[in-house]
Amino acid sequence: MTDAGIKLWAIIFAVGAANFLVRLSFIELLANKRMPPLLIRSLRYVAIAMLTALVVPMVLATPGAPAIMTLWPNAKPFAALIALVVAFFTRSMGWTLATGMGALWLLQAATT
Amino acid sequence: MLPAAAALIPFGLVCGVDAAAVGASPLAALGLSAIVFSGSAMILATQLYGVGAPLAVIVLTCFVIGLRLAMYSAAMAPHLGGFPARWRYLSAFLLTDQAFAATIAGFERSADKERALSHFIGGGIVLWVGWQLMTMAGYFLGNVIPAAWSLEFAVPLCFIALLGPLLREKPAIAAAVSAAIAVVVLAGLPMRLNIVVAGVIGIATGTLAELLLERKASAQEDVR
Repeated sequence: MTDAGIKLWAIIFAVGAANFLVRLSFIELLANKRMPPLLIRSLRYVAIAMLTALVVPMVLATPGAPAIMTLWPNAKPFAALIALVVAFFTRSMGWTLATGMGALWLLQAATT
Repeated sequence: MLPAAAALIPFGLVCGVDAAAVGASPLAALGLSAIVFSGSAMILATQLYGVGAPLAVIVLTCFVIGLRLAMYSAAMAPHLGGFPARWRYLSAFLLTDQAFAATIAGFERSADKERALSHFIGGGIVLWVGWQLMTMAGYFLGNVIPAAWSLEFAVPLCFIALLGPLLREKPAIAAAVSAAIAVVVLAGLPMRLNIVVAGVIGIATGTLAELLLERKASAQEDVR
């Protein structure tokens, strides 16, 4: 195996192990412990806060320069807003995906 | 979980294309996608490897990007207490943005933790197998989906579909709005730390809002 190949396998196992340990961390630390009530309450907001923090940059980021966020000319923020309203009222993955992609294609066709 | 898997098709393809572009062997590309099992870590690792970054830099960067998984780990912990260690280890390995987002509401709502766990593990395995197929398709066939279709937009849409129904109470809205503002304001942080920090800010704001609303409600009861 070449040096580059050996380095790549070192990356695979080191990153794989680090990722697994992060994923396992609190599951093992807290699984059979009694947690303070305030912590249990705060865990309810993990999904909401993290989903938002992941979605907003994906929707606003400029392709190729993820740190630069734009509202215009960018069809994604508007399509995402429409999808959010649909998700709120329908609670449906199918409808959200369909209206979100549909809105994006229409807006892209209208602006180019 | 199936729509989540479908939304990942374009992302998986890109990961495979990237691995081929930096000259990874087929087995190494499969190793990256199967062992690391994280699209964002795979893309980062391959790109940093491509520009010749040192091993320590690559591992540290991928570790920081993966820190959000620690928060999912904490949110899963109270539901996995009663299960044997091998199930907890398997759950940890299969813990991804998609699997967590699609099943955490089920864990919180249902008293039947066994059913919620089997949903999580079953869905996680489907995602894992699908992910390997997609990265390999990307590696060998290239990006078969035209970029003009913007199919990568299905990933945020999936998250929006899971997020929308959760925004029914004031503390939940406070958590989302504060996280959204924070992630934009902090966009200049290195290694995409803005995502983890914004998550922590959102969680703290939501919890605080819940406590304040509760205090206000009990104060009103005292007046009556």
